[in-house]
Amino acid sequence: MARASVVGAGMTKFGVHDTPLQELFGDAAFEAFDDAGVGPDEVEALYFGNAMGGQTENVTHLGPQCATHVGMAGKPVQRYEDACATSANAFKNAVEAVESGRHDVVLVGGVERCTPETGKDTDEMTRIFASASHRQYEQPTGLTFPGVFALLTKRHMHEHGTTEEQLAEVAVKNHGHGSLNPKAHFGKETTVEEALDGPVVADPFRLMDCCPFSDGAAAVVLVSDDLADSFDAPVDVTGVGHATDIVPLADKETPHVTKAARDAARQAYEQAGVSADDVDFAEVHDCFTGAEVLASEALGLVEDGQGGVAAAEGRTSRDGDIPINASGGLKAKGHPIGATGAAQIVELTEQVRGEAGEHQLDGVSRGVAHNLGGDAATTVVSVMEARA
Amino acid sequence: MSTQDTEDIELPESLSYHDWAAAVREDRLLGQECGDCGHVSGVPSGACQECGGRDLTTVELPTTGEVYSETTINVPPEQFEERGYQVAVVDLGDARVMVRIEGDHVDIGGDVVLSGHIDTDDDHPAPTFEPAE
Repeated sequence: MARASVVGAGMTKFGVHDTPLQELFGDAAFEAFDDAGVGPDEVEALYFGNAMGGQTENVTHLGPQCATHVGMAGKPVQRYEDACATSANAFKNAVEAVESGRHDVVLVGGVERCTPETGKDTDEMTRIFASASHRQYEQPTGLTFPGVFALLTKRHMHEHGTTEEQLAEVAVKNHGHGSLNPKAHFGKETTVEEALDGPVVADPFRLMDCCPFSDGAAAVVLVSDDLADSFDAPVDVTGVGHATDIVPLADKETPHVTKAARDAARQAYEQAGVSADDVDFAEVHDCFTGAEVLASEALGLVEDGQGGVAAAEGRTSRDGDIPINASGGLKAKGHPIGATGAAQIVELTEQVRGEAGEHQLDGVSRGVAHNLGGDAATTVVSVMEARA
Repeated sequence: MSTQDTEDIELPESLSYHDWAAAVREDRLLGQECGDCGHVSGVPSGACQECGGRDLTTVELPTTGEVYSETTINVPPEQFEERGYQVAVVDLGDARVMVRIEGDHVDIGGDVVLSGHIDTDDDHPAPTFEPAE
């Protein structure tokens, strides 16, 4: 039995938008409404994600603003902030709401702007992003988010022999995937040579190891299992796991193992009654190339220590045995923080329906989404599959 | 400063951020040991990170250790003017801390010793380590 079903999905192109947040969110939400064939009067609540609007655009009480814009004024709105896992957290709570009978039809989505369109340049935005690290015990060292994942990845390289070339292969793969996705921020392929020639951001990460600052929005209409059959193309949510880990990073027992992701994946697989072997494809949180390596292992899609090797061998490419980030991932599709988790759900929905267009994978019926926040101290893992 | 020089200093019964920061400014590192499970953390918490117990004792942490992981940051946040500084997680034995590395670059596994602190981020100090002799 499904915990809930996605019956409508929509997202903006990820990239640079000079649009106000509510209008950007509206573009995704209206697409999701139209896809589901519902109007705002039938939608009972909004589960909304925005991580940094207060810091980036001086906007804090954004939930009702977005609800008003999409015709849902008066309906209850709950706004989630969980760093980069913001809208996956909104999604998890929405799934619980329809599963429990609290609501039958809800809208879930997120929106964010991170590009210089916000008026914030790179060093200002780098500081805002670093606010997801520990204020007292991490930020004063000058740690950045590329730095956080560099620390995790360097330890992985030390223990497993992962190489900078293998990290570059992740970037090459995801840019190749993104070149097939018209909604991706980057539409251009790259090469290992080009990636390894880029300027160092935080070693081992060069520019091409890092996802871009993006603007965008994504939304889905979620309904209860009972209602799903009355819609055209429901895609079932069969498992959602959610776990956290110790903050700060230094106090985690083995930071590069990303324990929260393993705990969340175990919960999600158990709920769905599946194992990693049953997963056809995955969208994982590749904010940096090393993060994809860690995620592919934490989800059990490749053996521990083999995440880099798997990417270099093409096992995680769209024609490999376990395609990862066919959308281009955060790396190429882009990473508008509060929209990223919802966009993964949009991607899983479209792939399972066979409606992903040029970047459609062959014969996939079950996908997993992995959305992390902070230094992987929050992770939400969702399993979605074709309705039986 | 070695542990010997500081053993006469009274440690706070309940470790707060302000106690921890004051110690960093005196080139000392304080952590907490759990009376229930024995877990040692490198920074203060209200409860044990492992078992949730609140029987926590402030402990003086060693000032020498080994680099557990490290990176050199070339694109700093606003108000960190310099580029190319090294940040590391240092393993002190029972606990780890996140620090700034001063002096020569140190790889994972390299021995380091507490060298002082920086205080460039709105009065929030961070410990600094340097390669051990």
